[in-house]
Amino acid sequence: MLNVENLIVSHGPIEAVHGISFAVDKGRCVSLLGPNGAGKTSTISALMGVVKSSGRITFDGADVSSLPVEARVQAGMSVAPEGRRIFSNLSVEENLVLGGATRSDRTAKDADIAHWLETFPILGERRDQPAGTLSGGEQQMLAISRALMTRPKILLLDEPSLGLAPKIVSQIFQMIERLKAQGITILLVEQNATQALRLSDYAYLLNNGRIVAEGTKETLGQSSALMAELTGIA
Amino acid sequence: MILNPSQKRGLVGAAILAAVLITIGLVVTYFGSRYQLRLVYSAYVNLLVVLAMQVFMGNARLTNLSHSAFMGIGAYVAAICVTPVTVKSISLPDAPWGLNAFSLDPVSSALLAIAITAVLALIVGLFVVRLTGSGVTIFSLAVLVIVHSVFLYRTDIFKGNQAFFGIPQVFSLTSIVILSVFVVFIVRLFRESRWGIQLRACADDEVGAAAMGVNIRRLRLIAWVLSAILLAVAGIAYAYFLGTISARPFYFNHVFLTLAMLILGGMRTVTGAVLGTLLISFGLECVRWLETGPVLLGIDLPEVLGLSGIALGTVIVLTMALRPGGIMGDQEIEDLVLKKQE
Repeated sequence: MLNVENLIVSHGPIEAVHGISFAVDKGRCVSLLGPNGAGKTSTISALMGVVKSSGRITFDGADVSSLPVEARVQAGMSVAPEGRRIFSNLSVEENLVLGGATRSDRTAKDADIAHWLETFPILGERRDQPAGTLSGGEQQMLAISRALMTRPKILLLDEPSLGLAPKIVSQIFQMIERLKAQGITILLVEQNATQALRLSDYAYLLNNGRIVAEGTKETLGQSSALMAELTGIA
Repeated sequence: MILNPSQKRGLVGAAILAAVLITIGLVVTYFGSRYQLRLVYSAYVNLLVVLAMQVFMGNARLTNLSHSAFMGIGAYVAAICVTPVTVKSISLPDAPWGLNAFSLDPVSSALLAIAITAVLALIVGLFVVRLTGSGVTIFSLAVLVIVHSVFLYRTDIFKGNQAFFGIPQVFSLTSIVILSVFVVFIVRLFRESRWGIQLRACADDEVGAAAMGVNIRRLRLIAWVLSAILLAVAGIAYAYFLGTISARPFYFNHVFLTLAMLILGGMRTVTGAVLGTLLISFGLECVRWLETGPVLLGIDLPEVLGLSGIALGTVIVLTMALRPGGIMGDQEIEDLVLKKQE
């Protein structure tokens, strides 16, 4: 469904991602693992078109490499960005409305908003509150719901566990697992390799802007010293 | 059109504000002196300006200082179109392009003025939306100076600092009260619309909003042009009531006055825009009275020239220092009213 070939991302003079290639098949959950500075967020930003990149990105059979962000969202890609990036001055509901910014079918959109407010009762209770008053875990739920407001074919999750307490992290991963069970294709970017591997069908290990290993959770599990470090086994 | 809950609340809020504006209008119409009526009229013109500013500044959270210029463009275009040929042949004998050889009815003149202001705003806006933060502020200041200079030195068209007279006085206090009620609803519904939400999201986190597929430049352009259209309406209302305009009222003093109104009330909300305008309009009259050195409680106060300028500056300084979000912050009027009921 998503194919990336020789993706290069530069921030000014610094090249953060040095030509990586990977693929995410329909209905699967693929994770991109790696330590800080590996180029994970740069990759996600390039996939969405938020930062410039070179290389070829094909999605659903079409080349999206040169499309603007809106067009990629409309094609069915959606992201829950790193650090959640919820709009703290907007209400919970307005955040969800914003998630559907590229959609024009109002009734269906309103139904989706109602659906997410029901799915996460805590968000429903706080629909009129500024989203900045939510806890970290609630904000992450909102960020993911917001990303799903576009009814994406693929959901890109950039470090959903970042800065959350272990118990909340488990809740977030349970949520991702449910989404996967519903058939949503997921590209998960994580530092928390243990949790991510548990629900991934396939994983790529990224370090210093290059893919250094790939495989299923069984084969990748303890394949390298870096992997051991990431999973916290070493 | 189906409205979502926050838009329904927006309508309630706008209705409350409209009721306040209508009440003030009625009281002044029936009980006010001619002088008070003029004061309230000019306060309502400023209200239209401040509401128009709220559309761009409040939602995009960027500072625009050229608003009075767009108000001036609206006022002058309408004035040039609507003033009878007999008057223009005397007041604008050297006008180019046959500007003194035609005249239109007030409605066509107003529509033409709005259209021309919108086109000019669109052209300027294409540059504005490429800028961020202080870039917008400086750019808009330059626009203000350019427009003012044209008004001032193309005396064959605009008469500069001399009065452009002979504009038919077709507006009354009633007209502007109705107009301001309309504009309150437009501005409030814009704030709660999809566009308004997206603009406010961009102000919160530009990169985050872009990642959601929000086209920031297009949205800012929409808000910029809508703001200019409402400013043109304010300018037209000003010209159609007074019958006389000149370049001075569309320059820095007016920019500063309306900015103080918006900042005091709080630019993020429509309620703030209305509240700030009413408070400063009323407060400034009190200050002007003090300026003349009246006798208060048996004390003969000295004459203090320039007190109103000091007062306005102080309002901005104190608001920015103590309550940067203005009096209302993020609260609209219905938030206060509905909360009390719960």
